[in-house]
Parts: sequence; C-alpha cells; structure tokens
Amino acid sequence: MHKKIALINLLLLLSTKLLFAQSYTVSGTVKQKSSGETLMGVTVSIVGKSSVGIVTNEYGFYSLSLPKGDYTLRFSYVGYKQELVRLNLDDNKVVNANMIDETSLKEVVVSSKKDNDNLTKATMGTEVLDIKAASKIPVVFGEKDLVKTIQLMPGVKSSGEGSNGFSVRGGATDQNLILLDEAPVYNASHLLGIFSTFNSDALKDATIIKGNSPSQYGGRLSSVLDVKMKEGNNKEYHVSGGLGLISSRVTIEGPIQKEKSSFMISGRRTYADLIASLSSDFKDIKLYFYDLNAKANLAINSKNKLYFSGYFGKDVLGVSKTFGSNWGNVTGTLRWNSVVSSKLFSNTSFIYSNYDFNVNFTTDGSVINTNSNIKDLNLKQDFTYFLNSNNTMRIGFNIIHHTITPSTTTGTGIVNTKKSRKGLENAIYVNNSYKAYDKLSIDYGLRFSFYNVLGGDVYNVYQNNQLVQSIKLDEGKFGKTYYNLEPRLSMNYRLSNNSSIKAGYARNTQSLHLMSNSTGGSPTDQWIGNSYNIKPEVADQVSIGYSRNFKDNVFELNSEVYYKAMQNQIDYRDGTDINTTPDIESELLYGKGRAYGVEVIFKKKTGKLTGWIGYTLSKTERQINGINDGKWYNAKQDRTHDLSVVGIYSLTSRWTLSGAFVYTTGNAVTFPTGKYTLNNMTLYQYGNRNANRMPATHRLDISATYEKPSKKRFQSSWTIGLYNAYGRSNPYSVTFRESKSDPNKIEAVQTSLFQWVPSVTYNFKF
Amino acid sequence: MRNIIVAILVIVGFASCEKVVEIKYKDNQSKVVIEGNVTNATGPYYVKISKSISLSNTGFVTTIDNADVTISDDLGNTETLTTIGGGVYKTSTLQGIPGRTYILNVQADNQTYTATSTMPEPVTFDSVKVEKLVMSGETEYNLIPIYTDPAEKGNYYRFELSVNDKIINQQFILNDELKNGVVNTFRLEINNDDLKLKVDDKINVVMQCIDAKVASYYTMLALIADSGPGGGITPNNPQTNISNGALGVFSAHTVQKRETNAQ
Repeated sequence: MHKKIALINLLLLLSTKLLFAQSYTVSGTVKQKSSGETLMGVTVSIVGKSSVGIVTNEYGFYSLSLPKGDYTLRFSYVGYKQELVRLNLDDNKVVNANMIDETSLKEVVVSSKKDNDNLTKATMGTEVLDIKAASKIPVVFGEKDLVKTIQLMPGVKSSGEGSNGFSVRGGATDQNLILLDEAPVYNASHLLGIFSTFNSDALKDATIIKGNSPSQYGGRLSSVLDVKMKEGNNKEYHVSGGLGLISSRVTIEGPIQKEKSSFMISGRRTYADLIASLSSDFKDIKLYFYDLNAKANLAINSKNKLYFSGYFGKDVLGVSKTFGSNWGNVTGTLRWNSVVSSKLFSNTSFIYSNYDFNVNFTTDGSVINTNSNIKDLNLKQDFTYFLNSNNTMRIGFNIIHHTITPSTTTGTGIVNTKKSRKGLENAIYVNNSYKAYDKLSIDYGLRFSFYNVLGGDVYNVYQNNQLVQSIKLDEGKFGKTYYNLEPRLSMNYRLSNNSSIKAGYARNTQSLHLMSNSTGGSPTDQWIGNSYNIKPEVADQVSIGYSRNFKDNVFELNSEVYYKAMQNQIDYRDGTDINTTPDIESELLYGKGRAYGVEVIFKKKTGKLTGWIGYTLSKTERQINGINDGKWYNAKQDRTHDLSVVGIYSLTSRWTLSGAFVYTTGNAVTFPTGKYTLNNMTLYQYGNRNANRMPATHRLDISATYEKPSKKRFQSSWTIGLYNAYGRSNPYSVTFRESKSDPNKIEAVQTSLFQWVPSVTYNFKF
Repeated sequence: MRNIIVAILVIVGFASCEKVVEIKYKDNQSKVVIEGNVTNATGPYYVKISKSISLSNTGFVTTIDNADVTISDDLGNTETLTTIGGGVYKTSTLQGIPGRTYILNVQADNQTYTATSTMPEPVTFDSVKVEKLVMSGETEYNLIPIYTDPAEKGNYYRFELSVNDKIINQQFILNDELKNGVVNTFRLEINNDDLKLKVDDKINVVMQCIDAKVASYYTMLALIADSGPGGGITPNNPQTNISNGALGVFSAHTVQKRETNAQ
C-alpha cells in the first residue's frame, strides 16, 4: 500500500518537471456551431508540433500549456470541419471553438472518433458510437436502439434474440456499468428486454469500454457503457419526432438564455396496447412502456455551469385483474462544472438512481404483491488537471449509498421478514494520460475502492451453505469492509504513420451482483450487495492490440487479443427459486471464471459506402464448487464465433440503404442426455453443465431511408425496414416433449420469434 | 409467468413459431433409478428399480429384478421387499404412520443405495376449487387446492393431477414459505401449453404432505419444466435424498384424494 502511494508520488513528480519552463496556458470549450452542444474528444493540437496534443474532456473543455510564442491551434474532430486559430501566447488565454457539422454532406460516419485516433490514443477496447450513424442501422420494428448497435461490435454479444442484455468479453450481463449522464441504470431494457431504455432522440453520444477503462470508472467487471444525453440547442428552438409501428417520440429543445443555456425534453410511448384494445379479445391486456428524458443547463457565469438531467421510464404489463406488473428506472443528475483555473476543471455530481419492480397476482380473492428495489444516492467529484501539454490528469472520488430491497412479498396473510440492506460503495482514483513523445502515449492510474456493509439488518454467515453465525448490525453501524486496489494501464506505440500496437492491463472489482433466474435480463432480476458471505468480484484483464489504417484513414483495422481471469464469481445451488427463498445467501456458490479471445474490426469510415465487419473468436468458462462436480464448464454466454457485417450506402442525396448481417454460435446450454420414469411420469437425465449448443443464430436486416426535400426549416424522412429478411427461424428456446405420435420418442421443440418483421417509421424535425 | 410472457408476445404480434428440430445429444451415462413411496394409506407399498436410457432410445427403460430391497423405520422395524417382476418390489406387512422416519436400503448392481424420509402429519384436504378466468376472450380454468396450513412453519405439499383418469406429467409443489397457517389460495400452476381444462373434465387431485428434501426434489423438477422462454434455471438432475448417485426419490408421505369437475 505505502509502496504504491510512493510510486504515484514519483510519477506525479516526473510529470511535473515541465512546469518549471516559462509557459502560459490556453484553455477553452469546444462546441458544435449549429446547436451549441459541447463536443467531447476533439483533438486540440499545434500546427507543426506533432508531439503536442490534447483532447477535450466530457464537457468540451481543454487546456494546453506552452512556452510563450506564436502558434496555430488546430481543432479536429471527425464529421466536422477542421478549425484553425492563430494565437499569440503571451499570457494565459481563453480560446473557444465552434465547429461546423459536416453531416450535411450526407455521408454517414460510423464512428465519431477522429480520423486516426485509433493509432494515437492509448485507450484500448473502446468504441465511441455516433448516435446519428447508429440511427441508420436497421433494427426490429424500426425502433432506433443504441444497445442493439453496440451488440454489433466485436467482443459484445447479445444475450439472445431480441434481447437488450449483453455480455462483454465473456462477462455476465450484470457486469456492465451502464451510465446515463453518470447515473447507473440498473435495468437497461423495456418490454422484457426487447427495447433499450435509451431513447436515441435524446442522446448525444455513447462510449463502450471493454474492461480497460481509465480509473475514473469502476464498479463493474466487464465494461462501461457511458451514455450522454443531448444538452439541447442553445441558439434556436427545434421540435423533432417520429412515428413508428410500436412507438412515437417527440423531442423539444431550445435556448433558456440564448447561446448560454438550453434545455431538451424527449418523450416516447408505445401504443401496441391501444391498437390491441380495439379488439374485444385483448381489452383486458395492458402492455406499454414510456420514458421521458429531460435535461437543462444554466451558465452561472463564464466559469461555472449547472446541468440537470433526468430520466423516468416505466413498463406496465398486466392481464385483466389477475396479473399486473410494472417496473422502471428513475435517474436524476445535478452537475456543477467549474473552470477553477485555466488548467483545472472540476465537475461535481449529485446523482439519484432508482430501479423498482412490482408484480401482483390475484387468486381466489387474495392478493400477493412482490416488490424489489434498488436506490442509490451518489456523490462524485472529478478534477481534470491539464498539467502540461503532455499530461492530463484525472483525480477524484465517488461515494454511492445503496439501499437494496430484495424481493419482498406482501398480501393477504403474508408476514414479510425481509428487510432492505444498505451499503456504501466508495472509490478514490487518480489517472494520467501521458504523451511521452509523438510515438508513445501511456494512460495509467490507480483506483482504490472500498465497500462498507451497513447496519439495519441481520446478516447470516454460511459455511458450505450451513448457517454458522448471525450478525445483528444496528442501523447506522458499519459492518464488514472490503478493500481493493485496481491498477489500470494502457499504452499505445506508433509503429509508423499508419499502424500502431497497444497493450493494456486492468483490474476491476464489483460490489453489486445480480441474481437472475433468466438468461436474458428480466425485470424480476434482483441485485444484492456484498455481505459477510459475498465478496467483491475481481477481474484482471490483459490485452494486446494492433491497429492499421489504409488509404489515408478511409479504412481502419483494429484487432485485440485479451485474457481475463475472474474471481469470486457467484452462482446458486440447483433448484433455488431466487424470489421465494428466505435468504438467498444460504443458496449461493462461489467460484472463478476465465475468458479469452480475439476481436477484429475492419471499418470503412468515409465515402458512399460505410460500415464495418466485426469478428470475435472467444471462449468463456466458469468453475464453481458445487456445480458440474467442481469442473470447468462453459458459461452460458460462451459463443465461439460472432460475426457482424454492417453496411450503409448513400445511393443518392435522398436515399440511404443499409443492411446488417449477424452470425453467432448458439449459447452454451444443458440439454438432457437420457430419460427415465418416475411415478408414471417421464423425466430427463442431464449430463455435464452447458455441454450442448443452441443452434446457431444468423439473420439479415435491411432498411431504406428516404429524406424528403426540406421545406424551409421542416425536414422529414421515411424509413422502411425488414428485420430477418430471409426469415430464418432463430432459436429463442429449445424444449423437450414426448412425441404425440410415439410417446416413447422424445422430440426437441424450438421456439423462434421475429421472422420477417417489417417496419415503417416517419421522422421529422423543424 | 412463462405462459403470460409468451401469450403477450404473440398478442403484440411478435410472430412466434415452434418447430421440431434434430439435436445431436451427448452420450448418456446410464444410472440406477429408484422410486420408493411409503404412505399412510393401507399397503402394500412399492419400490421400483430401473436404469435410465439414452434420450434417443425409443424402447422401454430397463428394469432391475435381482436387487435386495429393505425398508426400516426409526423404531427399528425392518421389512425385506419381494420382487414381483418389472423392476417392482412390494411390502407385505409394513403400515406407514405419520411422524415416523423410514429408511430405504437397496443393493443393486453391486452398489448400495440408501435414503431417508419422514412422513409428515396429515393436513386435511378439504376440496379442489375451480376458478374460472376469462382472459383475452379465452376461458381458463385454474385449480386451487383448499386446505388449512398448520400454524407451525415448514409444511410442504405435492399434488398429483389426473384429468379424465390420465395422469398429468407436471409437478405441483406448494409450501408455507409465504403464507403460513392460513387457508391456501395458491393455484396449481398448470402449464397450459400441454393441458387445457374443459367443462366436464373429470379432475382428480391427490394431495401429499411431504418432507423438505422430497419437496426440494420435486421443486427442482417443476423449475426445470418452467425453464422455457423468458428464462429459467439451468436444468440438472435434482438433488435427491437417495445416496450414491442414483436418480429418483424416496418419499414417505400422506395421501388424500379429491375429485371435481370444471364448471
């Protein structure tokens, strides 16, 4: 511990050596000219000095320290016209840039990264998604869906047909940190996983980091999906929206104080139930979801800005009076951006996040309600310190207070004995992006995370699933604390003008764990925090990558090899019903996991035809004492091959065609191997766990978009699409039954969803 | 839950279709299967011993007729069962009594298998209530077994359902985990893909009071059967009370039978 602190100090000292030169600082904010939205990831460099370069942070802020002199600043960002600004640096100066969006060129850019960022940045396993480009990719029912697009990236696998659950590099679906304006989203799907909670109209950008995140991120083993909402146009009012087969959307944005502050509000609701209710047969079915995104920002002065963003979403599902359920996420983020000095940028966030699930059954006049809930209060303080032109540091801390209520049931004649549990998830971190010289950049950091079990409940301690001790922890008392040090490192060495190699190592830990009886991601899934039995999950990942660009960065090839070792993985004993068992902890089993693979993505970034081919070859296994005789077995998300091909073609200035093809090996599953008879019923015998495979899934989706000639401000477009164009019946589930014609014969029955699903969507903006 | 989800997917027009597929099964390791029941009804009681066969085998299961089978109780009484062929062994004098613990001992294929089960005190099975529901234009009949759960916690019930004298291959297990000491209101969760009750169906329900281990065995079977669309547990051979890796279960339970008609 002390050694590590000493090491950090040393690193800090080394990087401050440049401070002693006579230098001034130029800083500022980079925005999009037409809307005033801040731009993250814009490269700010000096013409003629290739060793100097910095990128804007999440809030569009940058700062560069340089010796006194005359310079030309260059702002570059893909999809935008490059900006050059002359600068006479004889004092600390502020230079704000407004960049012109080039999407009017009608060319779709599939990645919002700078032309050759993949060669220059130290980040590994990272994909930044352009929401606008993602909207051209065909999806089921024509509902633009961020998560579905992310599932087309190598290393990211959908957990099943139509599912919004995803697995990154062999991780489980609960090992992804999904952030919406910094607030964790605990259930990122609507309608049993078919749609994502993210309304694309309200989003600005999204980044997925596959395990090698910088140290300001933490809390999940496998990935970070960082989604940011639009801030709203601060120059003029706009209304945009769309009508689809399943849902309609509307977004309003505009200035609060012109050029200074703005708001955005976006809503969406499905209406399948409204159509269904026209038929008397379906009158008693309730099935819909809606969500609302809102964001506002307020410039207090040139140095301080407040942001408020909120999300509210709800699913409702019910059948007459017998069954009803609803669930949803609520998040709220209040942020304060402050330019403390020309080199120091501060962001303070207060975040509220809540996920709630309710279900009720009525039988024979008696009602049963089941509720589970997770509620977070979260404080984040983050400093970006632009030490000099070679070093950008991030320093900060994060405290999250969790209140987790497991499935509790109430109703006629039911005595509820389960209580909410509380925990404190804390982290302190430091990270530095260091550009050693023009060929080598290194990102290194350390995250110190610790979790306190908080009082208010009785904690049972089990050994081999036998109760050995009960600890009554009073309200307000601190219980067991777990400490973890998480080093993070990634580096990039530029081999030549068009190629580079990368290497990275990261340790991640996770203190919240999802208990799920389902493979996809179900509203009934429940979270559980660390306890006296449950230790933080730990993952160590090493990866090596090679990138090469061709034809003046028109083509980009990125490949990575990774190996990930996971400890303290959790599963539960056979036959456990997580919803009714009195103490789920008595049923838990612990073990380890490993995952390794190769990912390749080849992109064409500009031109009439854009798109990518992504391929992953991978393996992921678990070893848990008490399962499969303690031997290694395939995790259910283990898929050998995963291929996706995405193409977007601008036929004319009005017509865009797009297609997406996917092929994946089936999930690892356990099928019966034998049968026997018991009490006159036929039962199945099972062999090794997950030794079988579901049939492979493959599918082609296509769509065409026509943009009508705009009348003054009014723009509109039609998109028609066909999901699963060649009607492949992909396996959703496989079950077994006795053949009707010959009861001695067992047949396997495959259920498929979604064959030839057409869609029409109309979008408008004015 | 599963049925509701699938029904709703279909209603919303998410084309869902089923087809029979060919699957390449892994090799099966044949295991001894023991089915033993002792009840509070008048004997004889039977123990069946067979061996599991591979899934693709369309023949009948093989039986073991040369095993040594004994049942003893916690008072030290022991009876050796006699074979009557077809893998079936039967008692001649044993009378099951609630509250007693029974021990099954089987010697077959040079292996010894033992199991212990305690017969709970009987809980009176009053009747079967038929609940009629009209959902989305379809009439559905649900069955609710009516009984009053005793005040003391830890009661488990298993139900065998026969419709028109045909036994239904589904597991129905209830317990008092959520509602203790009150009249039961839980339904038997019938998988209506396989069984749709109609008016005038002759419905027979046998209620068994079973011990915790037997309940967990049957609960696992029920969970596996429910692991279709919408998720489910990873199937496995249920944890049984029989030692030495045998399949099957040994259950000492009480029995009561009630009959009704769907109206």
